[in-house]
Amino acid sequence: MRFIVPIVLLIAGFSTMAHGETALNVYAVNYPLAYFAERIGTPHVAVTFPAPPDTDPAFWSPDQDTIRQYQQADLILLNGAGYAKWTQKVSLPMLRTVDTSRRFRDTLINIEDSVTHSHGPEGDHSHGDIAFTTWLDFSQAAQQAEEILVAFIKKRPQHKEVFTQNYEALAQDLMDLDEQMLEVGKRLDGIALFASHPIYHYLARRYLLNLEMVTWEPDVSPSDAQWHHLTELHRDHPAKWMIWEGEPLASSARRLEEMNITGLVFSPCFSTPTSGDFITVMKENIAHLEGIL
Amino acid sequence: MVDTFYIAWKYIRYNRVKSAILVSCITIIAVLPLTLEVLLNESERQLTLRAESSPLLIGAKGSALDLVMNSLYFTDEIPEPITMAAAGEVMDSGLAGAIPLYIRFSARTFPIVGTTLDYFEYRNLAPNSGELFTTLGQCVIGAEVAKTLKLASGDYIVSSPETLFDLAGVYPLKMKISGVLTPSRSADDRAVFVDIHTAWVIDGLGHGHTDVTTTTDNSVILKKEAQNVTANAKLMHYSEITEDNIDSFHLHGDPEGFPLTAVLAVPYDDKSGTILRGRYLEADTLYQAVRPAEVIDGLMATIFRIRTVLDAVIGVVGGSTLLALVLVFSLSLRLREQEIDIVYKLGCSRATISRLLGAEIVLILLAGAIGAGAFLLVVSHYDQQLVRTLLL
Repeated sequence: MRFIVPIVLLIAGFSTMAHGETALNVYAVNYPLAYFAERIGTPHVAVTFPAPPDTDPAFWSPDQDTIRQYQQADLILLNGAGYAKWTQKVSLPMLRTVDTSRRFRDTLINIEDSVTHSHGPEGDHSHGDIAFTTWLDFSQAAQQAEEILVAFIKKRPQHKEVFTQNYEALAQDLMDLDEQMLEVGKRLDGIALFASHPIYHYLARRYLLNLEMVTWEPDVSPSDAQWHHLTELHRDHPAKWMIWEGEPLASSARRLEEMNITGLVFSPCFSTPTSGDFITVMKENIAHLEGIL
Repeated sequence: MVDTFYIAWKYIRYNRVKSAILVSCITIIAVLPLTLEVLLNESERQLTLRAESSPLLIGAKGSALDLVMNSLYFTDEIPEPITMAAAGEVMDSGLAGAIPLYIRFSARTFPIVGTTLDYFEYRNLAPNSGELFTTLGQCVIGAEVAKTLKLASGDYIVSSPETLFDLAGVYPLKMKISGVLTPSRSADDRAVFVDIHTAWVIDGLGHGHTDVTTTTDNSVILKKEAQNVTANAKLMHYSEITEDNIDSFHLHGDPEGFPLTAVLAVPYDDKSGTILRGRYLEADTLYQAVRPAEVIDGLMATIFRIRTVLDAVIGVVGGSTLLALVLVFSLSLRLREQEIDIVYKLGCSRATISRLLGAEIVLILLAGAIGAGAFLLVVSHYDQQLVRTLLL
C-alpha cells in the first residue's frame, strides 16, 4: 500500500498534466491531514508529508530546505491547536496556509496541569497548553477534512465536483468511525482506564471515556517515580486497562500485569503507518477497545 | 553677429560678479516652479500607484490618513493597534485574503515592517541577492537600506529601542539579513522586513531564555512551586535568534490577541470587496475599512490646493524678480552712459549698440536657462529619493 499510493499519485499527476494543469502542491504537518488531503484531492493534488516516518511530527523540526519546500507549496495544511510548534518559528505564507481546526478553536481543550513560569511583568505563562490530537474525535476530523475541501475548491474550483464526491466518501468513513466509537464509549459506561500519554483528551471527551493520563513512552522503561505515581493514581482510579500509543516494552507490560492492568494499543496515527492507512488503523484501535468489553 | 556676441561675452566676463548674480536670479525664477512641478508629479505617481495597488486597509477607527500613510509608506505616525484576530476575521469571511502589517519599530532609522511572505508575492518583490526569510529572527532589507548602510545578505542589523532611556524595556533584537530586495522604486526600498512573529519578539511579546523548569542554575530561580516557577531578573533573554536557541523562543499568549497596525485585505473580486467594506461600516465595529486610493485622492486634492497657492506666490515673486532685473538692466544702462557714448563716437551706430546690449541679455538668459536645465536634470534623476525623503 505504501508503494501503491505514490504510484497512484504519480499517474494522477501525469493525467492532470496531460490536461495542461499542474497538480496542486500540498504540504501537510501530520499524517492524518496528508491522508485526508490525498483522499479528497485525488487525482488533482500532490500531497507531501515530509516528516520521517519514525518521528513524532508534533515535535519534529524541518531543516531549511524542507522549510523552503513548505514555503513554496500551493497549500500548507496545519493542524492548529498549537500542533507542530515549529510552524510558529518559521515564516509561512498566511494566504496559502489552512488552519484545519480553526472552525472549532473555541472548543479546544486547555491542558490544566502544564507547568507555568514567570519572570517579569507578563505574569505566569506556559509553553504548551492546548491538547492537539484533534482528529481522535472523528467528528472533529470530519470538520478538518471539510476545511481541506473548502481550500481545495478555492484553489481549483474547476474540480469542485470531484473534490466534493471524494470528501463525502471520506466524511462517511469518519462518521462511521465516530458512530462506532460512540457505541463503544456507551458500552464502556465510565470504566476506569489509564492512558500512557496525554494525547487522548478529545477521544475521552467525545466518547465519554473515563481516562487518567500519565506521561510514559512505549519504548522507554518507566522510572521508579513514574511507577510510584501510577500506584498512587491507581488507588483512586482502579483501572484495569492502559491505552498505549504503540506496543509497550515487554518489561512494562509485565509489571502492569502484576498490577492487574492490561495494555492495549490505540495509535494516534501521527505518522504514516507501516501498513494500512488512517481508517484501517482507527478500525484496529476501535477493535482493541472493544476487546475490553 | 559673432563679433557682437564676442564683445558681449567680454563685457560679461569683465563684470563677472554682476553677471553671476543676474544668471542666479534667472535660474532660481525658472527652477522653483519647475522643480515643484517635477516633485509633485513624482509624489503623485508614487502615492497613487501604491494606493491603487492596495485595495482595502483594515485598521483601528481613527485617522484614515495615518493608517494609509503608515501602512503604505511606512511613515512614523503609528495608528492605534488592532489585533491579529482582525486578520483572521477577514480570512474567515471568505471575501478576501489578509496580509497582516505591524509597522511600529525601526532599525537605524529605517522602518521595520512585520508581515508575512504574502506581502512580497502581492507587491511582486523578489530578492536581488539571498532569499526571503525562512525562520524567526531573520529579515529582508530594501535596496536603499542595503546601499545606505552598506549591508548585504548574511550581515546583521539591530532593531532600535523605542526610547533611548528605556532601560527596563525590551532588548533590541539582532537580526540576520537573509536577502536584499531588488529596487522597486517604492517605500519598500527603504524598509526592513521581518516575519510578523519576529515583530512580536521585537515588541517583547515573545522571547527566548533557558528553560526555567529544567535549569540547574538555582541562582535564576526566585520561587519554585509544583505548577509555577518564578525566575528573577538574572534570567538572561537571548538578543539574537540562532539555530541553537530558536527552540527556546516562545510567544506569551494567544497570537490572535497580538497587535497589528493594519491588515491589507485583498478581496477575491469587486463584489467581495464591497461586501467586506460594508461590514466595517456598522457602528459597533472597532475597525474601519478604507480604500487607500480614496484617501490619497483627498490628500492629493489638498496638495493641489496648496500647490495653487504656491504657484501664485512663486508667480508674484518671479514677477517681482523680473521687474528687479529690468531695473538692474536699466540702471546698468544709465551707469554705462559714458561708455555707450564713447562707442558711439568711435563710429558705432545706435543699432550696433542695441545689438551689443541685446547680445549681453541673450547670453545671460542662456546661462540662466542652462543652469536651470542642469538643476532640473539632477532633480529628475533623484526625484524618487527626494520625494521619499522630503515628502513621504
